[in-house]
Amino acid sequence: MNAYLEITNLTKRYGAACALAGVSLSVECGATLAVLGPNGAGKSTLFGCLLGLTAPSSGAILLGGRPVADADRISFGYVAERVALYPQRTVDENAVFFARLKGWPVGEAKRQLNRVGMHLVGERKVRHLSKGMLQRLGLAIALCGQPELLVLDEPFNGLDPALFDKLQSILREESARGATLLISTHTMSAVEPLATHVAILLQGRLAAFGRVDDLRAEHRVNDSLESIYHQIARRGRTTEEAFA
Amino acid sequence: MKADAALVVTPCPLKATVSAATRCGAAHQRRASFVTQTWLIASKEFGDRFRSGWVIACVLVWLGAIGLTSFLGLLQIGQIGVQGYERTVISLLNLVQYLVPLLGLLLGHDLIVSENEERTLRLVLAGGVSRTRFLIGKLFGGCLTLGVPLLLGFIIAGAVIGVATKDAGMASFLRLAVSGLVLGLTFLGVGLAISVLCRTRVQSLVVALLTWCFAVFVFDLIALGCFVSTKAPAAAQEIEFVCDATHVHLAADIHSEFDNVADGPTRATTTSRAASLGWLAANPIDLFRAINLSDQMEIQVPVFTTLLTVILWSAGTLGLSIWQLRRTDL
Repeated sequence: MNAYLEITNLTKRYGAACALAGVSLSVECGATLAVLGPNGAGKSTLFGCLLGLTAPSSGAILLGGRPVADADRISFGYVAERVALYPQRTVDENAVFFARLKGWPVGEAKRQLNRVGMHLVGERKVRHLSKGMLQRLGLAIALCGQPELLVLDEPFNGLDPALFDKLQSILREESARGATLLISTHTMSAVEPLATHVAILLQGRLAAFGRVDDLRAEHRVNDSLESIYHQIARRGRTTEEAFA
Repeated sequence: MKADAALVVTPCPLKATVSAATRCGAAHQRRASFVTQTWLIASKEFGDRFRSGWVIACVLVWLGAIGLTSFLGLLQIGQIGVQGYERTVISLLNLVQYLVPLLGLLLGHDLIVSENEERTLRLVLAGGVSRTRFLIGKLFGGCLTLGVPLLLGFIIAGAVIGVATKDAGMASFLRLAVSGLVLGLTFLGVGLAISVLCRTRVQSLVVALLTWCFAVFVFDLIALGCFVSTKAPAAAQEIEFVCDATHVHLAADIHSEFDNVADGPTRATTTSRAASLGWLAANPIDLFRAINLSDQMEIQVPVFTTLLTVILWSAGTLGLSIWQLRRTDL
C-alpha cells in the first residue's frame, strides 16, 4: 500500500478525559476516507491533530513518511464544521486573503469563488451571508491552490439539496484530480458515493477501518454504509459494556 | 514532455496527479514566505483597524491632546497660547505616561484572543501559517496601528508648535516622541502576551486594565515601600524623587520659573544618582519618565539601561506569547 498519510497510535488526553486513544490508520494517495462516529467520538480532535491545531499527547502523524510540518499544511484545504471568517470583510477579500497566505494569486481565489457560485456576491460582507453561502465560501477557500489533502469537518450539515449536490460534485472532481479527502460526517448517505475507505471512531477508539467493500464483506452486509456503521457501533457498545 | 513521460511510467495515475500537485506546492511554498505571510497578516490587521476608525480616532485624540496641552499648558499662571517645545513636553509628560501605555494595552489585548474566540485563528493556522509567523504578523500590524497615529500626532503637532513659536530647540520634543512611541510599543507587546494568555476577550480586557493600573499607579508605591522598608536610604530617595508623580511635577515645575518664587521646590541631592538607575528596567513607564526629565532632574539615564529595558520587555513579552500560543490547543 502506498501510504500518503500515516497516523500511528495517536492519543489525545484532556486531563482525565481521553479524546483519542491510540488511533492508527493510513490513507493512500487519492483515497477518500469517511470518518464516522457519534458526537464526541474524537473526529474533530483527529482533524485538529492533523491540522496542527491540537498537540497530540502521544503518537505520530506522518505525511509521505515524515512528520507533518507547518509548511506542508500550505497544500492542505480545510473546511471547519462551523465556517468562521472575517465578518467585517467581503467575500472577495476573505478569499483573496487566505489564497495569498498560501502563496496563490488573486486569480486563483476568484476561480474558486466562481466554481462554488459565490462570484456574484463577491462584494458582500461576510456577516451578511447565509449559512449555506458561508459554507460555500469556506469550501472555495479550502479549494484554493489545488490542495493535496482536503479535510472537511461535517461539510454537509445544514445544506439545501442543490448545494448538497454541488458539494458532492465538487468533491468528486477533487477526488478525480487526485486529491486525498478526509470527510467527517453524520450524513452517511452523502459520503457513501464518494468514500473509498471508512474509519469509525467510538469514544476515541478506532472501532473499524478499511476499504468500504472490505468492511461490507467482513460484516456480511451488502447494504448501505449506515448499516455497517450501526452494526459496528452496536458491537462497540456491547464490547464497552462487557469491559465495564 | 518530461512531465508526460513521468506520468506514463508512474503505475498509479492518482499518484502521478498528486506528485504533480506536490511539485506545484513546493513551488508556491517558496512564494508564501515568512515575509509574505507576516506582511499579509500585519496589513490586514492595520486595514481592519483603519476601517473601524481606530486609527483616525487615535490621530484626532492625540492631536487634540498635544494641541490643547501646548495651548493651555500655562493657563494656571494666566498665559494662553502655543508654548515652545520644552514647556509642551513637560505639560505632555503625564498625559503620555498615562495614555500611551493604555492605548498599547487596549490595542494589544484582543489581537489574538478575538481571533481565537471567533475561530478564525483555526483557519489561518490550518492553512500552513505557523503560530510564530501569525504572532509576529499580528504584533507588526499592531505596531503599525499604534505607531502611525502616534507619529502623525507628534509630527503634525510638532510642526504647528515650531511654526507658531519659532522654537528651534526641539530635541526634548523629539525625545518625548521617540520614547513615547517605544513606550507604546512595549505595552503593545504586554497586551499581546495578555491576549495569548487569556481565553476570552472580557478576561483579557480586565487583565489589561489591571496591568495598566499596576504599571501606572501601584508599581511606584510598592517600589517605594520596599526600598523604605529595607532601609536603603539612597535608593529610597532616588525612587521617591523619580517615581512619585508629585515630586516629578515639582522637579519639573516650569511654572516656578515664571513665578520667581525664591523658596521653590528643593531638589534632593543628585550625587551618584545615575549609577543606580538599573532598577528602572522593572517598569518602562518609570524609565520613560526618567528619560524625559533628565534635564530637570539632572540625571542621565544610561543608554545601556534604556536599551536593556526595551530589549528585555520586547523579547520577554514576544517570547512568552510565542511559548504560550505554541502550547495552546485550539
